[in-house]
Amino acid sequence: MNRRVVITGCAAITPIGNTRSEIVRHLTEGISGVSAMRPDNLLTEHIHSKVFGSVDYAIDYDFKRQYRKTMGPVAYYACQAAKEAIADAGLEENFVTSGRMGVAFGSTHGSPTVQRNIYRTFFGDSDAKLSSIGAVDYLKSMVHTTAVNITKMFGITGRVISSSTACTTSSQSIGYGFEAVKFGLQDAMLCGGADEYDTTTVAVFDNLLACSTDFNATPHLTPRPFDVRRDGLVVGEGAGAVILEDFETARKRGARILAEVLGFACNNNGGDLILPNMDGIEQTIRLGLDSAHVAADDIDWVSAHATATKMGDVIEAQAMARTYGAKPWVTALKSYMGHTMGSCGAIETILSMYLMQDGLVPPTLNLEAVDKRCAMVRHAQHLIEHPIRTVAVQNFAFGGVNTCLILRKAGS
Amino acid sequence: MGSDILSEEEESIHMTRSQITTHLLRIFSERFEIDDPGLDDDLREVYEFDSIDAIEMLREIELMLDSELTRDEKKQAMGISTLNQIIDYIEALAVARPAN
Repeated sequence: MNRRVVITGCAAITPIGNTRSEIVRHLTEGISGVSAMRPDNLLTEHIHSKVFGSVDYAIDYDFKRQYRKTMGPVAYYACQAAKEAIADAGLEENFVTSGRMGVAFGSTHGSPTVQRNIYRTFFGDSDAKLSSIGAVDYLKSMVHTTAVNITKMFGITGRVISSSTACTTSSQSIGYGFEAVKFGLQDAMLCGGADEYDTTTVAVFDNLLACSTDFNATPHLTPRPFDVRRDGLVVGEGAGAVILEDFETARKRGARILAEVLGFACNNNGGDLILPNMDGIEQTIRLGLDSAHVAADDIDWVSAHATATKMGDVIEAQAMARTYGAKPWVTALKSYMGHTMGSCGAIETILSMYLMQDGLVPPTLNLEAVDKRCAMVRHAQHLIEHPIRTVAVQNFAFGGVNTCLILRKAGS
Repeated sequence: MGSDILSEEEESIHMTRSQITTHLLRIFSERFEIDDPGLDDDLREVYEFDSIDAIEMLREIELMLDSELTRDEKKQAMGISTLNQIIDYIEALAVARPAN
């Protein structure tokens, strides 16, 4: 079995908005979602980077206690995005619960907020006899908490995939969901990822000298992918969810098709767990193109991983030049919201669909002077009206994991 | 939560049945968002009170009695399905414990 796979619904919670119109407004008007980091009375005073891609607007959750009781902040994001994506796809409850639909959803490390509370109990001075960890703390904090809170809330009985590969978490979710539908294992998959506000991740990157620190007083000016003044990544939070469906199933029910997933590739650098690897990235892109049965020339626009680290951007730019040449436009969407970690692949996929639909290539924010080592590709430095038929969404993670998703505009 | 919402006089493990009921109704309202459950309602059937809630309830009872429950005592609670049965269970636990 080798079926066509389409996206019929999506939703995102991002530092630049929760609705399509608000997100596109930020992208077209060049508005950053990066702001000052909130104090957490634990790590922030030790971290040199003071900026964060925060979700600083209220979200109107209406989850019943029956669902809330096993949810940490990351599961709130995941379930809200899932709820909006299911509604966007117009899926009926009897299909969602039929076993024909599964979930591929993950996060970087469950809920760090809940994990901190558990550690406080164990390592605090209080008598832990009666205040030991609660029965639900594990359910709130475990690494697959997003996926199974979604299955519980919507009664989804199909397969569960819960990748947790840092920055490739949700691109893997979409990729593995794509394969599950393509090969006939499920008729639909709810795919994505989420990560909550967490300074632990910032501390890790800060210690590796990979976080932005030069723009603490002007958060909107960082991150700066591919720019000569880039000084590292900015950690963010958010969630993204997409509904993947077998094309025939979607067509028969008269679903609105947002895009087609043409291909997916995932590989590993097979070596260092931190350093970017040009051969690994180049190979991922080539495998993605092969999987999609498209030529490099067919790619109109690339959503680059581009976190604004010194070497990561150079390696990615050079790998793109080797594979695509200088034809496709390249945008680093993280420049608008920071690196939303486990959710970035899904969020960037959703934004790519919006932009394909609108025929818009947004500029990489803060890209004022292109680093000459990154200059061999076609950077978008201002808003361009340009038909986008095929897009590549690239994501790379600690651990040497690389992914490439190839999407095509609906109706192309 | 738990002992925080007990008044001074309620902190004894030898509360009256009425005091236990009042305290439990407060826990049900504040912790489980279940207001004024019927004393003989099946908690699972009527209020979706599940096994996770039951474990949380045992923790609340430990705080109420200021005493850790043994594994055997916890196992005895597994068949409980109504508020009246919870009250019976707490009364039995209190009797088995020395007064403060």
